[in-house]
Amino acid sequence: MKTQAPSRRARALRAGAARLAGVVAVLWGAATLAFLALALIPGDPVTILLGPFTTASQEIRDQIAADHDLDKPLYQRYLIYLGNLVTGDMGESYQLQKPVFDALAEALGPTVELALAAVVIAVGIAVVSAVLTAGREGRLHRLATAWELIAVSLPSHWLGILLLTAFSFQLKIFPVVGGSGAAALVLPALTLALPIAGVLAQVLREGLEAALAQPFAVTARARGLSRREVRLRHALRHAAVPLATLSGWLAGTLLGGAVIVETVFGRPGFGALALQSAMNKDMPVLIGIVLVSALVFVVLSALIDAFHLLVDPRLRT
Amino acid sequence: MIFSRPVAAAAALAAALVLGGCGSTEEKAETGGGAPVKGGSVVFAVDTEPVSFDAHVSAQDITGTILRNVFDSLVYQDAEGKFQPWLAESWEVADDLKSYTFKLRKDVKFTDGTAFDAEAVKVNFDRIHDPKTKSQLASSLLGPYTGTEVVDANTAKVSFSEPFAPFLQAASTAYLGFYSPKAIKDSGDKLAAGGPVAVGTGPFVFSAYAKGQSADFTRNDAYAWAPKGAANQGAPYLDKLTIRFLPESSVRVGALTSGQIQLAAGVPPQDVEGIKGNANLTLDSKDFPGGNYALYLNASKAPFNDEKVRKAVQLGVNVDAGVKSLYFGQYKRAWSPLSPATEGYTNKLENSWPYDEAAANKLLDEAGWTTKDGDGYRTKDGKRLVIDWPLLPAAYVKDKRDILGQAFQADLKKIGVEVKRPQDDIGTYIANVYGGKADIADYSWARSEPDVLWLLFNGASDPRKGGQNATFLVDKELTDLTNEGRATLDPAKRAEVYGKVQERAIQLGLVIPVYTPSAVIGRAKAVEGVGYDANAWPLFQGAWLAK
Repeated sequence: MKTQAPSRRARALRAGAARLAGVVAVLWGAATLAFLALALIPGDPVTILLGPFTTASQEIRDQIAADHDLDKPLYQRYLIYLGNLVTGDMGESYQLQKPVFDALAEALGPTVELALAAVVIAVGIAVVSAVLTAGREGRLHRLATAWELIAVSLPSHWLGILLLTAFSFQLKIFPVVGGSGAAALVLPALTLALPIAGVLAQVLREGLEAALAQPFAVTARARGLSRREVRLRHALRHAAVPLATLSGWLAGTLLGGAVIVETVFGRPGFGALALQSAMNKDMPVLIGIVLVSALVFVVLSALIDAFHLLVDPRLRT
Repeated sequence: MIFSRPVAAAAALAAALVLGGCGSTEEKAETGGGAPVKGGSVVFAVDTEPVSFDAHVSAQDITGTILRNVFDSLVYQDAEGKFQPWLAESWEVADDLKSYTFKLRKDVKFTDGTAFDAEAVKVNFDRIHDPKTKSQLASSLLGPYTGTEVVDANTAKVSFSEPFAPFLQAASTAYLGFYSPKAIKDSGDKLAAGGPVAVGTGPFVFSAYAKGQSADFTRNDAYAWAPKGAANQGAPYLDKLTIRFLPESSVRVGALTSGQIQLAAGVPPQDVEGIKGNANLTLDSKDFPGGNYALYLNASKAPFNDEKVRKAVQLGVNVDAGVKSLYFGQYKRAWSPLSPATEGYTNKLENSWPYDEAAANKLLDEAGWTTKDGDGYRTKDGKRLVIDWPLLPAAYVKDKRDILGQAFQADLKKIGVEVKRPQDDIGTYIANVYGGKADIADYSWARSEPDVLWLLFNGASDPRKGGQNATFLVDKELTDLTNEGRATLDPAKRAEVYGKVQERAIQLGLVIPVYTPSAVIGRAKAVEGVGYDANAWPLFQGAWLAK
């Protein structure tokens, strides 16, 4: 036993180091790809930055180019960018007169808030919808699958305006202007959550149905557990495993959905910043957004692995 | 039984909706006239958020519109286009139009307590002119600026290397507004971020900015230097003005009709009737001055190097039908490249070149495009008559101009002209259209000064060098006339010169004016006293909220 302990620690360390190297590799790859993709946009970067409707003189164009190193060759710009990145400096926004890091940090809070609220709502709706209807025939089952299908296929943009029209403009419950805190969060979070809830509920129900068909479900019933207890204590756990593997898709949907939701509701955040930077050709901010998104995916997949260990004891050996 | 829980939940939800509905805002009474009331706050929703809040750097209309509340100018251009004293009590223009001497008011203070004086004028203008500021608009408004001389504390002399008549109009814009020199010194590199760093002399203080959401302005209680002729000569009546950024037009309109906001900019044409029909709301519609939305034909290459082909296309697009069906009469059809809201506009061109398919066909026959190919398009020497009119990337398309273009495309097909509308990225667009490789460029250019015609038609305004003359034609007469207009302040002379420019541009078939863009602002009737300056921008210094 005693001799085994260090080797296990070493193994854990090695696994950790490998994981960290993986993270660095992913981030480096993401930064490089984003840098190249943006550099490959045809046309002179200063001209693109200024847009077509400008009277800026050559002198001012030269100054802009010099300030952002745009007068240097591509490989040099890449090396400068990478060098700064290693020291944690993501560069300066072309348009906002502030470091990219600050712009991202400011935008992250509202989006995390929105995304978390949406996940809580989505999981809540999905669990209720799936637990109530899994393995049952009848109208409720059909009704549940029908709403899930509708939710999945609704365009977020349209859904947001629909919710606003009903609950803000007509019923005047949730203001789009002047509201703060929870009241201002309800409709945007719901808009983001509904399509996700639809997918989650479908996956969860399938998992539940598979689990309920297994012998352990009958055993548990035979032990005297009620149908609801079997569902909540045993089957849900099984069904949660395939759900967790959806997290990559979930993170992507949340980030992508945030662009639309934040625009419709006029909310600050990561999506709004992404859209604005793309419109204003603010390359450093765009690369920063790609980096943070990559980081979110990497961190999330680590968390999901931990979650798997938590819900599935078979993996803990 | 199965339904019991959802039904109960639905009932609870419905109850919550009803209760919530009861607690909502009460309807405001409709009022008209009456004396201004002090107090209250107003929310104005706009469609765009400034990229940079630095008035000296930004070229965006929205930046000027918003910062107008914070910055005063040397002179005020009233709704008739006349210049009135503002921060300058009086001014003298040198006979050669190469220098302007301003006598400044002595009682003006920045909101940080420092005095506004000739030195402040110099510091601001020098900052704009400095290439390090990277000014995208203000520096071009300063034109051939050579420097500002502080004659005494309250006299500033601004000089130019060439005669520069458009300077008074330029000086009236918020882009040539004045930051406190202290603010420039302490936080000149942070002015783009907006918020309290933007210290001006204006009627409001830029108190807070939440990016992606809103900008807050509070009353400057010390304000006592409104432009001459302004209804309110003192501090604003409103305690607070909030600019809310809502890019979705349906959300702005919904927020307005439900009473969550008091003003909404950019009301789309399809919502105009609904707002007019609402007893609590009204619509302020102001035509923008400057260059109308128009198509500029590239006369430097085939097929538009042939005047007959240009004239044929000019007569062959049904501008009336297109503008009416798309904008429901909200935007006026244009006859001149210059907006009727601009000094020097000539009404001689009105109805002078109506849609005429037969005449267009005749001109094309005369130009030698006599044969037709299998698809019904005209050909000459075996080559089809094709026009390349690149479409801006979707993010840049305004007012559904892409759909208007489709109507014109169909009109031109009828006279045997094929119009191609490739939609590429913005880099490719600029390279083609501003490099003179495309046949048509389409844009409008808002500015309350007929000198905009210099930008649009002067031979030196080459788009390859930062100009906007997308006709790519160096016409001696147009160049001379627009230079002449720049060198005189005599209204009669200017009217004559600019009238000739408009007529010649139409006559040569260089431009197809389409419509006059206008600011369409929905407003709660409870908000009174909102003024509009010559740029069609709303002014809140005299606004009040009727109780």
